[in-house]
Amino acid sequence: MALPFSRLHDAMSTDTYGHRLSVFSDRNFKYLMVAPGILILLLVGIFPLIYSLVVSFQNITMTDVDTSFQGLLNYKQLFRDARLWQALGHTALITAIALPLELVLGFLLAQLFLERMPGRQIFVALLVLPTVLSPIVAGATWRLMFDVRFGPIGQIVSYFAGEPVTLLWTVNPSLVYPAIIICEVWQWTPFMFLLLLAALSNVDQSQLEAAELDGASYWRVLRQIIMPAIKPVVAIAVLIRGLDLFRIFDIIWALTEGGPGSMTETISLYTYVIGFTQFDTSYTAAVAFLVVALLSVIVTLVLRRMELVK
Amino acid sequence: MINRRQLMLGASLLALTPSMALAQAKNAAEVAVEAAKKFAGTEISIVWEAGLQSLDPLNYSGPKWEKLTGIKVKVVEVPTDQMFTKIMQDFRSGAGAYDALNVIPSWMPDLVKAGALEPLDAMVDQFGYRDELQDIAAAYRDNQMKVGDKIYGFPDDGDVMLLYYRKDIFEDPKMMEEFKAKHGYDLAPPKDWKQFSEIGQFITDKMAPKTYGAGFFRAAPYPQYMYQERFRMEGGKFFDAETMKSTVNSDVGVKVLQDMLADNKFMPPGVEQWNFVDNLANFLQGATAMTISWPPYGRWAAGYGSGEEALNWVPKTQVAGKVGYSINPLGRPELGVGFALSVSSASKNKEAAYLFIQWLNSKQTSLERVQLPYTLRDPFRTSHYESAEYRKLWPDAGAYLDTIKLSGEKGLLDLSMLQQDKYDEAMSKALSSLFAGTDPKAVADEMAAQFDAITEKVGADKQKEIYQAWAAKPGAYP
Repeated sequence: MALPFSRLHDAMSTDTYGHRLSVFSDRNFKYLMVAPGILILLLVGIFPLIYSLVVSFQNITMTDVDTSFQGLLNYKQLFRDARLWQALGHTALITAIALPLELVLGFLLAQLFLERMPGRQIFVALLVLPTVLSPIVAGATWRLMFDVRFGPIGQIVSYFAGEPVTLLWTVNPSLVYPAIIICEVWQWTPFMFLLLLAALSNVDQSQLEAAELDGASYWRVLRQIIMPAIKPVVAIAVLIRGLDLFRIFDIIWALTEGGPGSMTETISLYTYVIGFTQFDTSYTAAVAFLVVALLSVIVTLVLRRMELVK
Repeated sequence: MINRRQLMLGASLLALTPSMALAQAKNAAEVAVEAAKKFAGTEISIVWEAGLQSLDPLNYSGPKWEKLTGIKVKVVEVPTDQMFTKIMQDFRSGAGAYDALNVIPSWMPDLVKAGALEPLDAMVDQFGYRDELQDIAAAYRDNQMKVGDKIYGFPDDGDVMLLYYRKDIFEDPKMMEEFKAKHGYDLAPPKDWKQFSEIGQFITDKMAPKTYGAGFFRAAPYPQYMYQERFRMEGGKFFDAETMKSTVNSDVGVKVLQDMLADNKFMPPGVEQWNFVDNLANFLQGATAMTISWPPYGRWAAGYGSGEEALNWVPKTQVAGKVGYSINPLGRPELGVGFALSVSSASKNKEAAYLFIQWLNSKQTSLERVQLPYTLRDPFRTSHYESAEYRKLWPDAGAYLDTIKLSGEKGLLDLSMLQQDKYDEAMSKALSSLFAGTDPKAVADEMAAQFDAITEKVGADKQKEIYQAWAAKPGAYP
């Protein structure tokens, strides 16, 4: 039978040395208990980071496993790598367009479904369907939809135009971003919708009724009652989707593979290409640290701005 | 009096006698089978391109080898673009998960430099295979088998680009007459790219939208092979051999890109996003009068293999009996990828792996394999080209084999440098931008910049040595 901790502690406190040990144990016993867990967490969480950091100062490639330190070789290359900065630009562009669209559409849908209506549950379930799909499947589906020969979108446009219209959604530079945004917004607007529907459902009804009795306009109610009430949820939703969009990979891979050329290559695609098809291991580690640094700054700024962390 | 040295020599000769006798009495396939029987009950693994290619070892050669020797064959299917990576990963980890390999020849310098491939010369001699290697067509044997002076792989796939054209259209008297009246020469398979454009435009003008003059695959990564061929045939060089600066943005480079883009005008709408299957489907359905592709198009266009379950995805040909075969314009077609069979240096069962690839690659077995209707292995031996059996497979099979033979003899090698995959990617990206409408000069400049960045990273001196060795091969430049 195991001794209770207090008796174990008493048993250890029999002389002066034991007394000191006892005091030490009193103070540090709790740390001792959590230490193994923290150690494991550190090993699992921090070790890969440290290892990647070390690798980023070497020059390991698929064909060359020289592990000697190369100083800032890879970090200097970051600044000369035009494709990297273009990829970051593409990522920012997609995020800047898709995120507000998803937020606005999600909010409008949530407002629509806030009211009781016949078949509401069925419609909500149908609306949420795209979110449960794997993004690679969503991308592949939309690639078929956009296909110039077999895709329904081209056929519908041609029907209305009255003549065959060739829309190269995955080749034409002016159509390729709209194609990605359409697919992305189609898949992830329901996620925003669900979160905002939950948030709107929890807005204090008595305040809304009081405002209505006082004759407040819809915009005033929205700005002064609804928005403050749902702000924390909106902030979290924007943060989650913003991070997801920054890491966008599957949909673009399925739709364009970053093409034409590198016109739709995002930072995740670029990292994948250099890491897992070209196996520039050390340079990929440097790119990954650049992304971590950028995301850390952005997330910290966003959290402060949204007053989620005080 | 016999001294010790003579005694040793005599003993060695005596020891070698059975295997030499065996080698002389039997062909390479039989030698491999006999020698491999001692490994009965074991299993070897082989990396093979995923998809149709793998049906060869899965359905045919693997089970047959097991029946003959008792050695099981585990086929590891890997998509083409991941094969290099998987092979290197296995080698680097030392796992030895793969015994035999399918290797794209242009990767060989990288794989050999890393030490991932086993040199095969000793086993070639031990198992009497050197004579049969001479039957492999020179384009493949001389260029896709060795790195330096050592054998690292057996060329096993006669990849080469061929021009396919609609004989019924080209031989239509009215079309012939009108074409000659307009252009002053006979309507026939084009001898150069100017003729190709004129013929393509003429047919499109006469027959579109039912049939367009030509169609090509334009989606990455396929067009880069066509680009490599046209660029060199117009006089382009990939690098300055002394400075290793890229010269793909020379005047010739820009002109070739402009011409390739211009060709799209007489091709069907949407050709810019055609891949291998789109191009095949359009040609087989009669929507295009000319195309350039690898040899399987010719077999499938003739209807060979129709009814095979594995080929259900291939559209039923509407042009059987109407397709002619020709060497590409300017007469030096791109060999375009290819496969060689190698042994992994990390293998724990190298001899069994070697014997399997010798048997696969031998005259006897390879002739059976290149006739499998559902796989993509193309004839690559002189004996394949001459095979009476193959020539009876469909009415025009003889002409088909003759064109493959001629094209193979004249074939241009794919560029092969250290980290070739990066140069390939740069070409693919550039062509993708081109077909999206980017200015050809800007595309050429960007490709040159990418080439230079890769060369700088790998090391210009290292690349210079590799490039000069590659450029000295007869199939590198016309």
